[in-house]
Parts: sequence; C-alpha cells; structure tokens
Amino acid sequence: MRFRITVMAGVATLAGSLGLYPLFERSGWFWAGFGAVLAVGGAGLLARRLRLPALVNLLFGLVGLLLYLNLAYAASESWFVLPSPASVRHLVDLGENGWLAANRYAAPVPLLPGIELLVAAGVGLVAVLVDLLAVRLRRAAPAGLPLLAMYSVPAAVREDGVNWLAFGAGAFGFLALLMADAREQVGGWGRMVTSYHRQREVPLAGAAPPAEPAVRPDAAALAATGRRIALGAVAVAVLVPAAVPGLQPRGMLGMGGGAGGGTQTVTTPDPLVSLKRELTRLDDSVVLTYKTDDPDGPDYLRLYALDKFDGDRWTYSPLQSSAKDRLDGRDLPAPPGLSVASVREVTTRVHVRSEVKDMTFLPVPYAPSRVSVKGDWRVHGPSLMLYSLRDSAGGRDYIVRSLRARPTAAQLAAAGTYPAEVVAHYTAVPRNVPPQVRQLAQQITSGSSSALTQAVRLQRWFTQTGGFSYDLKAPAPQRGGDLADFLLHSRRGYCEQFAASMALMARILGIPSRVAMGYTPGSEVRPGEWVVRSRDAHAWPELYFEGSGWVRFEPTPAGAAGQGTAVAPGYSLPAVSAGGGSDGGTAETPDTSSPTDAESPSPSPSARHRNDEGGEEAATGQDGKKGGFTAAPWVAGAVLILLLLAVPMGLRMFTRRRRWAALTSPPKPRPRAPASQAAWDDPAAGAAHAAWREMRADALDHGLEWRASDSPRATARRLGELLELDAAGAQALTRIARAEELARYSLSRPAEPPERLRADVRTVREAFAASVGRRARWRARLLPPSTMTQTGTALRTAGNRALDVTARLNDLPARIRRR
Amino acid sequence: MAVGTHGESFMETDPPSSRTARRGGPPPAASGPGLDGLVQVANKIRDAVESVIEGKPAVVRLALTVLLAEGHLLIEDVPGVGKTMLAKALARSVDCSVRRVQFTPDLLPSDITGVSAYNQEMREFEFKPGPVFANIVVGDEINRASPKTQSALLECMEERQVTVDGTTYELEPPFMVISTQNPVEMEGTYPLPEAQRDRFTARISMGYPDPAAEMEMLDTHGQASPLDRLSPVAHASDVRDLIEVVRRQHVSQAVRQYAIDLVGATRGHPELRLGASPRATLHLVRAARAYAALDDRDYVVPDDVQDLAVPVLAHRLLPTAEAQVDRRRPEQVVADLVKRLPVPSPGK
Repeated sequence: MRFRITVMAGVATLAGSLGLYPLFERSGWFWAGFGAVLAVGGAGLLARRLRLPALVNLLFGLVGLLLYLNLAYAASESWFVLPSPASVRHLVDLGENGWLAANRYAAPVPLLPGIELLVAAGVGLVAVLVDLLAVRLRRAAPAGLPLLAMYSVPAAVREDGVNWLAFGAGAFGFLALLMADAREQVGGWGRMVTSYHRQREVPLAGAAPPAEPAVRPDAAALAATGRRIALGAVAVAVLVPAAVPGLQPRGMLGMGGGAGGGTQTVTTPDPLVSLKRELTRLDDSVVLTYKTDDPDGPDYLRLYALDKFDGDRWTYSPLQSSAKDRLDGRDLPAPPGLSVASVREVTTRVHVRSEVKDMTFLPVPYAPSRVSVKGDWRVHGPSLMLYSLRDSAGGRDYIVRSLRARPTAAQLAAAGTYPAEVVAHYTAVPRNVPPQVRQLAQQITSGSSSALTQAVRLQRWFTQTGGFSYDLKAPAPQRGGDLADFLLHSRRGYCEQFAASMALMARILGIPSRVAMGYTPGSEVRPGEWVVRSRDAHAWPELYFEGSGWVRFEPTPAGAAGQGTAVAPGYSLPAVSAGGGSDGGTAETPDTSSPTDAESPSPSPSARHRNDEGGEEAATGQDGKKGGFTAAPWVAGAVLILLLLAVPMGLRMFTRRRRWAALTSPPKPRPRAPASQAAWDDPAAGAAHAAWREMRADALDHGLEWRASDSPRATARRLGELLELDAAGAQALTRIARAEELARYSLSRPAEPPERLRADVRTVREAFAASVGRRARWRARLLPPSTMTQTGTALRTAGNRALDVTARLNDLPARIRRR
Repeated sequence: MAVGTHGESFMETDPPSSRTARRGGPPPAASGPGLDGLVQVANKIRDAVESVIEGKPAVVRLALTVLLAEGHLLIEDVPGVGKTMLAKALARSVDCSVRRVQFTPDLLPSDITGVSAYNQEMREFEFKPGPVFANIVVGDEINRASPKTQSALLECMEERQVTVDGTTYELEPPFMVISTQNPVEMEGTYPLPEAQRDRFTARISMGYPDPAAEMEMLDTHGQASPLDRLSPVAHASDVRDLIEVVRRQHVSQAVRQYAIDLVGATRGHPELRLGASPRATLHLVRAARAYAALDDRDYVVPDDVQDLAVPVLAHRLLPTAEAQVDRRRPEQVVADLVKRLPVPSPGK
C-alpha cells in the first residue's frame, strides 16, 4: 500500500501547485487541484492494494482523475459517477472554453469553470506522474521533474516569478517526499527506531542512565545532517536571490521601472521605427476616424509617451502590467500636474480601421479620463498610456473622455516648482550628449530664464530661426551622434528628430520633458468628424509645467513644407510672434528683467532644478541612476559586507574589554556566599578566570586545539610543548594556568595581580600568533572563531529545535495510523 | 591447617620490633606533621621502595597513594615482574607489622582471620589472631584461593574488623591489603568476585622494566637481595599521621562533581555491563587526596582524578560481550571517558 509515501506524494504535489497562485485571480483553484490529487492518490492506493503492475497503476491514476473531473464538473450529464458520452463532451467543451479563456486573458486569469477544470486536470496529471514515479516505481528523485514542470509554469508566464513562500512550500514538499522515501527504504530492513534530538552527553552527565540501551546504530545523526543540508539548500535558494543586488532582471540592465507584485512587462515593437514606417507609407491609408465635440479643433492623438532617453534614442520605461491596471470602465488616474490651468472635457468617438494590425496602444487625446472599449485594455498610470497585452486596436470603436488642458501663457510662465519625482525621472540626460549640444541649448535660450520662454525660444529656433528643413528622407536617428549631427550640421529631418532634439534640449535646460508619439488631428472631413491617415503619424515633445501638467510643443515645421497637419499650440505662439523683434509678449514679460529674475527667482529656484549651471553634475547624478550600473548600492553593499565582517572582530574586542573591565572596577561588597559559590565569585578568582577565558578565546582564535577534558595544568603543559614557548612565554602560561587552578580548586586564592595576568595573557597571545601561520594569524584578528562559536551554538540550538519539529511532523502519519 | 605449596611458610611473621605497635598503640598526636612533613616522609618511603623496584616511579607512587588513602592494592601482572617484591618493599620500608599470606586452593577462611582455640589451662576459648591482624597484609596469588577464603577478606578490608565466633576484633590502623594476582595462568584459579574487587582501591600492573632498569636490576640482585638491605624509613605512627594529613586535603565542589560525573559515566556506558559503584567514587576522591598530597599540594585538581581514574575504576567494571569481542578493555573505556569528559570550569 505504501500509505505514508502516497500521502507524501500528494502533499508534495499540492505544495508544488501552490506555486501556481500568481496565475489566478481567486484562490478557489487550489481546491480543484486538491480534489484531483485526492482522487489520484486513492486510485494509486487501490492499484497497489491489488498488486497491479506499474502500467496499470498509471491507468488507475488517470481513470481516477477522469472520474473525479467527471464528478466535479459534469455530474449532471453522467450516469451516476460513470462518465457518459454527454458528460465527456461537456468536459471537452469546458476544457476548450478554459483553453480559450486562458489564452484570452493575461495572468492572473479569472477562475472560470473551464480554467478550473484545466487546473484540476493539470495538477491531477502531475499527481499521477508523481504517484507513479515516487510511490509505485520508488523513484522519488525523478518525481521532482513533473513537480518542477508545474512549478515553472508561473515562472514562465510571469516575469517576476514566484513568491518565496510558495517556492519554499514547494521545495519543502519535495524534500518531505524524498525523506519519506528514504525512510521507507530504510524501513524495509526492519522497524525504524525514531529518536528525537537526544542529548548525546547523557552518559556523561551521569545523572540518569538512558531509558533504553543505546545499541541501535546511530542513524539519527546522519538523518539530522541530511535535514540540515536540505534546510540549508532551501534557505540559500530563498535568501541568496533576495540578498544579491544584481540577480533580478531589472536594475541590473538599468531598465528601472516600477516594481510590484504580480506584474508583467509590456513589450512592443520600437515605436519610433513604426513611426518612420508609417510616415513613409506610399498608400497613405486611413488609420482611424473619429468624432469630437471639441469646438477648437481636436488635439493630437497620442499613442506613446517616451520618457527615457538612453543616449541614442527615446524609449519608454518598461510597463509593469497587472490586473489592477485594467480599465474596466472606471475613471483613469488624474493627469499629473494638472491643477491650475482651465480644463475642457472632450469626448471623442474613435473608430480604428480593421486593416490596422498590431496596434496595441490606443490613440487617444491627452489626457484621457475615461475610456469605454472592449477587450483587456490597461492604463499606465504615470503616463496615461493605454495598452493591451494581446488585443489590437484594429477594428475597434471606443469612446474617450479626455481632459484637455488649456493653459494660458501666463499660467505657464508662473508655473510652480517641479515635484522631485518628476525632476528625477524626466530631466535625466545621459553623459554622452556632446557638449556642443549643451552649449547650443544654452546659446539659443540665453537671456531667458523661465521655463516657458526657454521652451518657446527652442520651438521658435526649430521652426523658424534655426534654419531647419523638414525632410522625410533623412535617415532615422539610430545613435546619439545622429541627433547631434541633426542639430549641429545637417538640420534636416522629420518630426522624430525635431521632437527628440527639443525634448533633449529641454532636459538639458532642466525642464522635464518627454517625447510623445501618435497622430496629428488629421483632417476634418465633415464638421466634427476627422480622418487620420498614416502620414499623420507624428512625434512631438511634451514639457512639464506644474499646474498645467504635460504641455505639448511643436518644433516640427508645419504646413506644406513640413508635417502637413501639425499645429503649434496657442500658448507657444505669442512668444513666437514676440520673438520676431520686440520683447513685449506676455510670455517674455518676466524675461525682460533677467537681473531681477536672478535676484528674486521664481517661487523656489532650488527645487526648480534649473540645471543651467550645475547641469553637468546634476546630469551625471541622474545618469548614474538611470545608467543601470549604479555605484551607490554597490558601495553600500560593500560597506555593509565590511561592517558584517567587522562584527566578529568587534565582538571579540568587546568581550575582551568587558572581561578586564569587570576586574578593574572595585569589587563590590557582596553578601557571604556559600563556600563553593565563593570560589567562583572571589575577585582574585575572577581575575584568574578572566585571564583563563581570555587565553582560551585566544587559543581558539589561533586555531589551537582546546580540549574540554584538559585541566588548566594539562592545557598549559600541552600548549607549552606544542608551541615550544620561550622561557618568558612558558612562565606566563604557567602563571595563568596556576592562577586558574588555584581559583578553581583550591581554598587559597591566586596571588597574581590582575595586571600581571593581563600582561601574561598578552605574552601568551603573542606566542600563539608567532606559532601559527600568517593566515591563521589574520583570521584570529579579523574573524576570531571564538566569537563565531557562540553564534554557531545559538544557531545550532535553533536549528535543532526546528529539526525536532520536522521529525515530529514526519512521524505524524505513522502515529495517526497506529491509533 | 593447610600448608602452603611454596617452600616458605605461608605465614611470615615480622620482626618483633613491629609487634609493639600492632595493637592498642597510642593514637597519633593531633598535631601531626603538615603537608611538608608528609612529603618528606612519603619521599623517604618512595626512595626506599624505588631502591628495590627500579624504573617504576609511577607504580611506586600509586602504591604509596593507596597506602595514604587507607586503601587496598591489587597488583596484577605476569609472574616475575616484581609484584611481590613491591608489596614486600612497601611493607618493609614502613616499620610496622607485616604478614604475608600465600593463597592456595586449600586455604581456609580461619587461616586468615584466626581461630578460637580452647585453652585448657584457662578453661576457655582463646582467640588466636590470624595473619590479617597486621598493618600490612600481603596476599600473594589471591586468586588461587577458593571464593570462600577470598571472601574472608571482605569484612576486614572494608570495615577494618574481624568477626570470629560472634566476637568482633578491631584492626589497627594503618591497615592495608596488598594482593597480587596472575592474569595469565588461569588453570586452577578463582577470579575475584566483583564484591571483592570493588574493595580494592586500585589495581595496578607492574609492566616490564625498560632495558636499562633491567640491567641495573641484574647488578643489584647479583650480590644480594635488595630487600634484605631495606630498613624501615617510617613508623606506623608516621603513616597514621600522614593519613590524617591526607584526610584534611581540600577537595573543591567542582572536583567532587567531576569525580561523580566520571564514575557516573561508566554506569550508562554502552560498552560496560557493570559500572563503578559509589564506593568507587569514594575511593577515587580519597586516592585523589593522597595523590595531591604526594604532589605537595593541599588541594585536589582534576588531573589527580584523571591520573587515578584507570587504576581506581577499571578493575570494577565489566565489559559487555560485544566489547569483549571488540577487545575493548575497561581500561580503554575509562581512558576514553577521561578524554571526553569536560573538566569542571567556572561559568558552566
């Protein structure tokens, strides 16, 4: 029958199935698997009861699983408990539904009946295999393979892997199975004598003789060692990834991004590549049509917000997606930074043409507040990008309600300080940006200190004064040098270069910026109805102004000689008109008196992060953070390790100091203790004891053997012979030993003053150090084993307790059976 | 009365000078010699014995220890290594009454304790004390006597008294039994029962002398028996004083506990069928006192206990059948225990 190991196989399977938890939204799936495991275990037991061959054992397991599934999911169609054709069909349908659902949803999936059936079947199949391998074929170790397969499902689906608790449960389940198997194999040779952690010193303590004659072979120590190794392996497997800074996929490669449980990274083709492709399409096909109620003409439709400039190109930080990001008809997060500027609510009804493929982001006017769309669409909170993990926007109709900020130039000019996290995230400039570009940015905006005037001057420079020409044939910028070439030499490009350059220059000037990508409003075919074609694909910079949020600028030349449907926003225009000659524009009002501006800076310049001056340093700092290989954590880690390493040494010094300090303080008058007690408590004896302990610690530190069964004089004799001490050392050693001996065993007190003993201990320590190798000497200084043994003892005690508990747990099935 | 098989009489009476001190002697003065005096006297005795037994200082020291610990000594070794010589040398170097009993299979208990004989003149029974009425009794080849005779020694060794025909006769201190036995020749021997063995404080074996000592032995024994040249160096009363000094030796609580632990450890030991008795603990501590005194120390250290553990404990232990098959001797078991048992130290 092998009842116990059958139970352990089931437990191991269930524990392994715990690792599936990130796949599901609710926890009911576990019970589905539980029932399946029970059914399989019962069938296996029956097969073994009847002493059937292994193949039949396998069949029994499968039949048991089928019966269970039939009973649990198709009971109404079945004949009593036996599956009927109808119930089997029902099961198949349910399974297909589950399969479809599993493919439709990203993890975590809702626990539909079909999915539950799949879970039960999958866990049950694993249980069948484990039962066959571990119980019938007595190969517990290979039974780990199906368990591992089940285990790796969530790890494969979810990038962030499995909670360590679930991992630990699975690992311990498998270990328990292995242990039960080993026990069973040993048990084949006779009855197993269970022994809990027994004090091996019992015969020596002399108090009570052991209850049973100790004639059994000492297998307990071996078993304990095995458990220790297993425990250690699991602990290492759990702790090391948590402790080592670089083993997570993120952080190491500098991808940053938000962490968080149960998330998934969204990957899409490079948006900029698809932009160029769309712009150069010959057919200029219609991408989407939309209706808008915005009387002023619609805003751009945005797909992506590229918040990261890696030195070569703009990309967006990896999106960590989880179920809570679903749209589900609820309101989206408020647009960041939008508080002061007036807002108009705009409703846009969009129809994306069904020919459009692979559009996994929804083009919407910024800033969407509510979106009604079918399918699994999610929102990225900080940027308000809308995306799907598997659905495409092609052929969809959706309604977007968006908040269109309408900041005035005055509001932008009076914008408050940037929040720190915006500064940290959106003003990072990589180190490899050429100094000429930095100089250029300063040069263009020289004389203006407010963010708005700088932005307006930049836009004006790009569109008018800089001598740029719009050229779709220009190669897409691949590397940072291409952008510099565009700015400094060629000055030919299309929206990508313009948007990227302006955003970069804004960052150089300390203005938070990002590159948005999507479509221009397109062309109005009927009042309120607009058509967007592939040539309307566009990229533009967005700059952040506190109070107004992300504000669009348009550095790309518009009109026939540029991006045909691009529109410069109103707030950027006054300055453009003013920039022609006079400085009377509203936007430039604060700019006219730059000295005063410098003296009484706008609200709080320090927090404003104007990196005009300290641009390099600030950028470097940002750089370090974004560049991936961040020095600070490593330095901190190194310091931490050094500190940890210094702990034993510090402990040792502390103990030494404390021992001697207790002596130098005047002895307190104490009540008469009984004679035996007085021997330990006497101050003179205390000095001897302190010296002796100190010498013992030194000997241990230097790796010298210290026998507990040696008396002081025997120890002194042995050490003296071992170390071949010179006369002074030998005398010191003898003095310490004699003092200790007197203190311990004699009525007379040692006559040596503590100072003398202390000096003796020092002499002996030097003798120790001289007698051992360099390695041992350094170890004695840096990692004194005497302090380690204390810690080791404490840890061992704790470990033994834990092992006792596991041993008892192991015996539980047997004990229950015996009752 | 049986007569010994050996040429010499199985009873040997000592010079009359010692007889005066035999019975009813004056009790030792309370103000006996201190530790220094003890060491002086002990050294004299030791030198005297060592002039006969060459190259065996440890054995001589143990014998002396047992004497001062008011114990009895069992010397076990092959013939011809000087067992009897040691016993006689020790006996002779102290000026006290010494009797030697040659144990034979036909020796009767009354041959040891003495008999009540009818005195026709006085018309009453008169007690004729046996050889056990001496300060030092040398029992040669003790395992050749029947168990009945061996057990005649039980009472006198432990209680230091002899009961014959309902009358109890006190034995006079110091009283020491030095027995020898031969482990090789097993034909016609009766191994000592456990109870008897337990009464011996220590068992020592002489061991062969090293070549140099043997050479010197040839020289000395060539001319005349060195035993003849040996004259007493201490009086029985001196020994009594020494015993008093030893009794005053300080044994700290820790060392006592150590002795208890050590003896206790033999009781539950998997290789031993029978552990050491509480009497063994008593003997061990007593012997340790004497051992420390011989080392000119007024306190006992664990080293004393360790040094004495094998001679004091090993002969009381019975190994299990498995241990016997493994050729594990009780001596090794005790030595292992000594190596494993931590010595008492403060803070534990």
